[in-house]
Formats: sequence, structure tokens, C-alpha cells
Amino acid sequence: MILRLALATLTRRRARTALTTAGVAVATAMLLDMVMLGSGMRESFRGFIEQQGFQLRITPRGTMPFDTEATVGGGAALVVALQGDPDVVRVAPIIGTKGFVTRAGTDSVIGAFLLGLDPTVQGDYILAEGRDVAAPDEMVVNAAWLASTGYAVGDTVALAAGYEPQVRRLRGIKTVRIVGRGRFVMLAGGDRAAALPIATVQAIGGEERRDRVSVVLVATRTGADVEAVRARIERADPRLSALSTTAALRFVDERLSYFRQLAFILASVSLAVGFLLVTTLVTVSVNERIGEIAVMRAIGVARWRIVAQVMIEGVALSAVGAILGLGLGLVTARWLNGILATFPGLPAAFDFFLFEPSAAFRSLGMIVLCGIAAGVWPAWRAATLPIARTLREEAVA
Amino acid sequence: MGQLRPLSLLICALLSLGAGVAQAQAVNAAPPARRTITVDERLATAAGLAVGDLVTVTTVAGTVGDSVRIAAITRRGADPSEVARSEFRVRLHLEHLQTITRSGDRVGRFAVQSRTNGANAPALSRGVSLPVSPGVSAASVAADINATAFGFRAYPAVEVAVETSATFRVVNRFHRAIGIITIVASAIFLLCITLLKVDERRRDIGALRLLGVSRRSVVRAVVLESSLVALVGSGMGAGFGWAASAIVNWYYQGFYDTPLRFAMVTPGIVAFAVTLSLVLGVVSGYLAAQRLVRTAPLELVGR
Repeated sequence: MILRLALATLTRRRARTALTTAGVAVATAMLLDMVMLGSGMRESFRGFIEQQGFQLRITPRGTMPFDTEATVGGGAALVVALQGDPDVVRVAPIIGTKGFVTRAGTDSVIGAFLLGLDPTVQGDYILAEGRDVAAPDEMVVNAAWLASTGYAVGDTVALAAGYEPQVRRLRGIKTVRIVGRGRFVMLAGGDRAAALPIATVQAIGGEERRDRVSVVLVATRTGADVEAVRARIERADPRLSALSTTAALRFVDERLSYFRQLAFILASVSLAVGFLLVTTLVTVSVNERIGEIAVMRAIGVARWRIVAQVMIEGVALSAVGAILGLGLGLVTARWLNGILATFPGLPAAFDFFLFEPSAAFRSLGMIVLCGIAAGVWPAWRAATLPIARTLREEAVA
Repeated sequence: MGQLRPLSLLICALLSLGAGVAQAQAVNAAPPARRTITVDERLATAAGLAVGDLVTVTTVAGTVGDSVRIAAITRRGADPSEVARSEFRVRLHLEHLQTITRSGDRVGRFAVQSRTNGANAPALSRGVSLPVSPGVSAASVAADINATAFGFRAYPAVEVAVETSATFRVVNRFHRAIGIITIVASAIFLLCITLLKVDERRRDIGALRLLGVSRRSVVRAVVLESSLVALVGSGMGAGFGWAASAIVNWYYQGFYDTPLRFAMVTPGIVAFAVTLSLVLGVVSGYLAAQRLVRTAPLELVGR
């Protein structure tokens, strides 16, 4: 009966109920989006890092991976030293530089990010077509590289380590074959990239690149204390900085802190708007039915039943609005993610708005809690009405 | 002061031609006994440096470098492209940097200032300086350079500024999208509140209608009331927005250590917000009033 009465009240004024539900739906959508934004960036980045399967990134001291062009000399010795650590199970040296090719059928020169790595332990690209690099003169490129240069998988190209634009001369040229197309997980959508064995990239770079590395990825054994390994590496070689996954996530958090703060503020505003809407509607609804409630109390309906009825109204409005808002939130999240996906320098597959069921339930739960909280004051007011005076005032009115 | 401090710097400083050439010429005219550099405030604070201190600059950490004196401590300009980067910045004379980086006569970029179009002067990614005639636009100079030269590319400064502020353009688009969602939410909220307020006065309006007050007068009264509410609300909102922008600027200027203004309440924005709010108030008031005046007066008073 309580439920029926609550529903009857809500359906009596359909327009206002529909508007309130729509308002709660928009507030829920915004709340869900902001919850997704708040955790999405971090989780998305964590996914990238963990997908590579390495817990530590070794870089020239004071730099972040590929943030500068700094490199460390004695790469081979460094790899041997790292492999000597009992907690280290895998070491992947990488050199990042620029490579140039002449566009197919033209004389225009195209530059691209050139990654020298060990194909057997790499975690920088996922092969999408063809096969992986198996010889020193083979390379894997991404779709942007193929589109810009006009070559295809299977073609042979002259790859250069340098380009003198004034005299239009390529230097450090090596003929290599494109054996595969890969998706470079850490690169932005339009960035051109190619990957070759590290020895090849070091060799074509001449003295400048001989035995140098930009980053060394290190995988530790299961159960090893990553922080202890990190500290050991930094102590052993003062030229190096070792960055753990936790520190990398902290760094990303710091750089993208603006979005987390914005997400927190907008989520709070959304909750407040949802709360105000439901409170206003339920309060007005109680005010309108003040005589009706007094009659119910006069004929013996218990206080808790009145409280329950009013609170059910608030919860029903919030719950329906929240369910509609979840769908709306997913649509708007897709739209907003499309906008932020053009953020310069971020990996193409990076998601600002990452859907997680727990986030959806959290948003739903918060809005429903708001609905419950919104019903408390009007419900209490309805339940504590002075029956006789209210009836008299209503009769006079 | 005067104390020699080892300072290993990864030098990736950008040197502008204007400063670089002027300083290089001064150096050629009367070479100082010891070279001077400038460091930015952030580095000075982090490393405890002061004007007059002697430091060592080197391109490779731990190697023997060049002993230089700090001539000045600089404050960064409000450049959006640098706001999220927490790197340090050191400025050296052009030929000094070329010497210690062993880059010979190479340069990263040139800036060319015209006599009449200073703000739009072209910047060359690599190359030589060209005289820019008065009255000639930067874009046409850049186009001429690009058509006749190779090995470098010229961009008008405005284009460079647009390119380097790509991050902020994305953020701006994101803010606009959030703004649209907020406007939709506000419209629903305002319509809902107006409907509730008008519904609350069903009996009053029913009585007015029974007394002979016309439908048009009722609609006008309701629209006027909702417009006033919207106007007062938007005025309060503008004040709240101004206070919020002051807090945002205070917080983020401190957070990123930049004089950049992150939020601005301009007359245009206030005018847009007030107009939008007024339109929403009028529309919601009209819709709510229409619902009411279509109902029979006796029904409104509960008969």
C-alpha cells in the first residue's frame, strides 16, 4: 500500500516527475562521467605500463622515458650488470631516435620515430600484420608510417639515421625490409614509428649512437621487492634514474591532476544538483498533500508508514533517474573521450573515460543515497505534523 | 656568492635569435672574463642559486664542464605550452651553447621580427634571417621563404602560438562540452523549479482567474517572476563565477608556478551567461504558465 501511494503521488503530476527524473538523469550522467574520468586516466595508463610486462624503467638520470633525447653510454655493459641482479628476470634495452626515408616515388623526405629494441623481449608494439623482426635488416612500422611514406609491408626501403636539409642529404643509410605492421602502444595516433633491432639503430647512428640506450626496461621476478631493486640500480650507477610503475603512475597523476580535480568538483556539483532537485520535489509534494497526510495520521496510519511513503518517492525518483543517467553517461563519456583523445602526445588508445562496473555502481549508489537523504527532511516533517491544527487549517483553506 | 657549485645541466634551452644574436655580438665586441648564464626562478629555488654564484655547466652529468657566473634569475612568461612541464631552464649565449654542445654553427630556430608586424613575425625552424619590409604581412614573408628556400620552414608567430597551445585548445573544447551538459542540466533544473513554484500557487492563480484576471496577465506575471529569478540568479552566479575563477587562478598559478591565468570572467562571458539564463527563465516561465492557464479556474481552486 505504501508503495502504491508513493507511486500514485509521483504519477499524479507527470510533467514535474518527468522533469525531475530527467534532471537526476543528467546529474547521474555527469557524476558517472566524472567518476570514470577520475579513475580512467590512471587505470588506462596502468594498463599500458603493465601490458609491457616490465616493472622498472631505467633512464638517464633526471629524465623520464623519451621525454628528452638523452641517452646513456655503455648500453651492453649496463644490460649485463642489470641481468646480474638476482631479482631481475628480463632486461630490454631501447634506443629512441629519429629515422628518415624518402617517400615512395618522390624525393620528399619523411621523418619518423625510430625505436631500436630487442624484438624477443619488447613490449612497445603489438603486431597487427606480417611478422616480427627476426634479422638486423628487418623492421616493423605502424600504420601512420605506411600512410605517410607510401610503402607497404614487404617493401624494401633505404632508412637513414640523419638528414641534412640544407644539402638534402641522408646519412647513415641502411637498406631494410618492412616485415610487419604494429600498433605502438605508447605513441599518439598520428605519430609515425618504426622498430628495428637495437644493434641496427646504434650502428646506423654512427659514433653518436654507438652502444647508447635511451631506456632499459626491467622485469623483476614474482615476489621481488621492486623498490629495493630500484634503489639498488640507482645506487650502483649514478648516471641512472630508475622509475617504478608506482612512480610512473604518480608522475601521470601529477601531470593530469587538473582533470582529477575537475572531475571531483563536477561530481560534487552533480550530486548537489541531484540532491536539490529531489529534495525540492519531495518537499513541494509533501506540502501539497499536507491535508491528506494529516487525514492518514488521524485515521491511525503509523508515522513510519508516512515516513516510508515519502522516502520511497525520493528513492524512486533517484533510482529511475540514475538508471536513465547511466545510459546517458556512457554516451556523453564517449563524446567527451573523443574530444580528449586529441590531446597532443598521448597514446592513441589512451582512455580518459574508462568504464568500470564498480564506477557505475558507485555512481548509482551515490545518487540513490542522495535520494534517501533528500527524503529525510520532508518525511520527518510529514510524520510530525500537528494533526488537529493541520486538519483545521486545511478545512479553512 | 662566488662559491663554485657543481651543476649538471641537461641543456635543451631554446635560444631566440633576437636575444642570441644581440648577446653574441656583445660577446664578440668585449668578451667577458667569465661567461654568464641566466637561470629560471624554479631552478634557482630548487638548487639554492643566487645572482653572482659560480656554477659548472656540462652536457653530461659528472664530466668536467664550463665554469660560469649566474648573471640573472628569470621568471617564465605565461606560455600555455610549458605550463604542465616542470623542467628547469637555463639560458646561455648562443655561441657558448654551440661550443659546449659541440654543435658547431647549428641553430634550432630563428625568430625574425618585422618593423611593422612584430606580433606576427615569422619564425624559421632552421635557416637564415631575412629582412622583412615594412607593411608586409608575416604570412606572406613566411610563404616567400618557404617557396624559395629549403632545409628549413618558416611559420608566422601566430601559427607557432596556435600550434604550441594545442593542449589548451583540447582543454577548451572539453570545457565547452562540459558547458553544454551543464546548460542542459540547468535548463531542466530551472524548468522544474519554475513548474513547482507555479504549481504551488494553483489556488492563487485559480482565484485570480475567477476574479476576471486575463490569461495573458497571468502568463505575463509568471514569466516576469521567472525572468526576475533567472536574472537575480545569474547575477549571483556571475559573482560566484568571479570568486571561483580567482580561487582557480590562485591555486593553479601556485601549482604550476606560472603567471598564466587559467580562468577569466570577461564581460562577454557574463553577458552570455545572463542572456542564456534570462532566455531559460522566460521559456520555463512561459511553459509553466501555459500549463496553468489551460486548466479550468475551478479545477485550479480544487472544485
